[in-house]
Amino acid sequence: MVRLFAALALPVAVPGIIASLIWALPGDPAEIICPPELCSGTAELAARWNLDGGPWQFYFGWITSALQGQFGNSWRVLQGEPVRNLLNEAVPTTAVLLLAGMVPVLMAAVAGASGRVPKVVAPAFGVFGLVPAVVLALLGAAAVELKLGADSFDAEGTRMRIVAGALVLGLADGAFSDTMAGVAALFSSERKQRYVQIAMLRGEGAFTNMLPNLTPALVGQMRARTLQLVSGTVVVEVVLRVNGIGDLLWNGTLLQDFGVVIAAATAYAVFSAILLGMQAAAEVAVALWVRRAPTAAPHERSAVVAHTGGAL
Amino acid sequence: MSRWLPALLALAIFGALASMGWLAPQHLSEPVLERGLKSWDAFPPFGTDSRGRPLLEYAAQGARVVVVPAALAGCLVAAMSVAGGLLRCVGDSRVDAAVAAFGEVVGALPRMVVILVAAILIPSTDRSLVPLALAWAVLCSPGAMDEAAAVAERLGGARFVEALRAHGFSWNRIFLYHIVALNLRPVIVRQACETMTQVTFLELALSYLSLQQNQSSFTHPDDLRSWADMLKLGYPALVIPGVGTGHALAAGLFLVGSVVLFARLGSFSARAR
Repeated sequence: MVRLFAALALPVAVPGIIASLIWALPGDPAEIICPPELCSGTAELAARWNLDGGPWQFYFGWITSALQGQFGNSWRVLQGEPVRNLLNEAVPTTAVLLLAGMVPVLMAAVAGASGRVPKVVAPAFGVFGLVPAVVLALLGAAAVELKLGADSFDAEGTRMRIVAGALVLGLADGAFSDTMAGVAALFSSERKQRYVQIAMLRGEGAFTNMLPNLTPALVGQMRARTLQLVSGTVVVEVVLRVNGIGDLLWNGTLLQDFGVVIAAATAYAVFSAILLGMQAAAEVAVALWVRRAPTAAPHERSAVVAHTGGAL
Repeated sequence: MSRWLPALLALAIFGALASMGWLAPQHLSEPVLERGLKSWDAFPPFGTDSRGRPLLEYAAQGARVVVVPAALAGCLVAAMSVAGGLLRCVGDSRVDAAVAAFGEVVGALPRMVVILVAAILIPSTDRSLVPLALAWAVLCSPGAMDEAAAVAERLGGARFVEALRAHGFSWNRIFLYHIVALNLRPVIVRQACETMTQVTFLELALSYLSLQQNQSSFTHPDDLRSWADMLKLGYPALVIPGVGTGHALAAGLFLVGSVVLFARLGSFSARAR
């Protein structure tokens, strides 16, 4: 319930908090778009940008527009440009980067679940995971520039930057090593449970028996990792010059472009809410699955029916 | 292996970084162009930048930027870990539910996004890493509280407290000595050390991203240099052979590595027997 509540509240709360921050800053919010020393007509501008009625009016206006797919205009990054256009360009790039970054993490999860990772390899990955994302991203950027030189910003260069970014996301800050260690620890402790050992004695697979019990914890771990990767996109996109939401959010922050920041942060919040919802759904599904009475195999069922004359 | 040696080494590293920060000059020294880009062996310990200024000054100013905020963040996370463990020992389901709700909501926020939103609020005249480090610590605290609570749960939670009370121990001794010092210590110290490292990495990332776009960093005033400046100075050595700034990159990485080593040694020294 808490998880579902958080999932529903996040996309509404994040723009609310940012809207209140706009008015928490000293001065008139309209002066951010149009500093009085540079231009006149701040009052008209405030009315046009819905900044003249205080935070509540701005917030409800923004939420109403956002529900219709309009996210307002950029204040400073590309002044006047609809943020929707900027997001349309940025979201697919970040999605590709994130999906590619999940590949090493999923590989680590599979390796950890299999329990066949050599004991020498795990600490080596652990040491590699200590490297911060910004340092690995620097190495990635250098590798792309060395490989492609002046052509590193064409289509192929962009592809290489995304691949390098995905590797950085998947390996840096312990994403790979911690996932492998976390999943391995989960499976290792569960394998010692009595029900798993009995299942193995009965000739059943350990994995299929453990999975229902481990799914909630696994889903929780993967959500945390995904969120870590989402956070990492900001650093990776800026250092590797990939035009995604992280890059957009960074530029918006640097230039105090609240039009961009509120939309980009809400996009991240929506993504996080989807992850929370998925985790809650997985937990409910597992709970329902576990609550079902164990079903007998077909031949056992027919034997039971024959024995009892179908009274069951 | 004794835990004293790692503890002493960790303290030595922290002491060295804190001393560097304490003694850091307010401004970089005057350029001496004829000693520009000297390597560490020609101008110990780290060499010089392109204008002949010692990279040691960069290192000291960078330490000044990160040491206090990282320590504050570490202390906050440690305090939250203690609170998480002790609250589990209270054995009140409503308290547990409230802690879980806090963890769910705060843990669902992408950390970097929150940090960037918080960064907008920092006035350009008073830039500091402290508010961002504290925000980062708050974002880290649900994980730390959760882990400490799991340790307290394994210990027996409220039943453990009752058992010790039956033995006649005082509340202070039970909570502060038996639970915190003997059982939660490894979690508290490790979480605090990890948070300190993460705050250092955060500063590095934010400063580097700002440098890349020729903007002021959110984390420190313009007259201070960060370790990110050393990485930025050294980066061309990766892509242009013979440019001669590799020593700056190596020095920056050495400083980052020393922070990682401090965290590892600190965690190791507090491990359970």
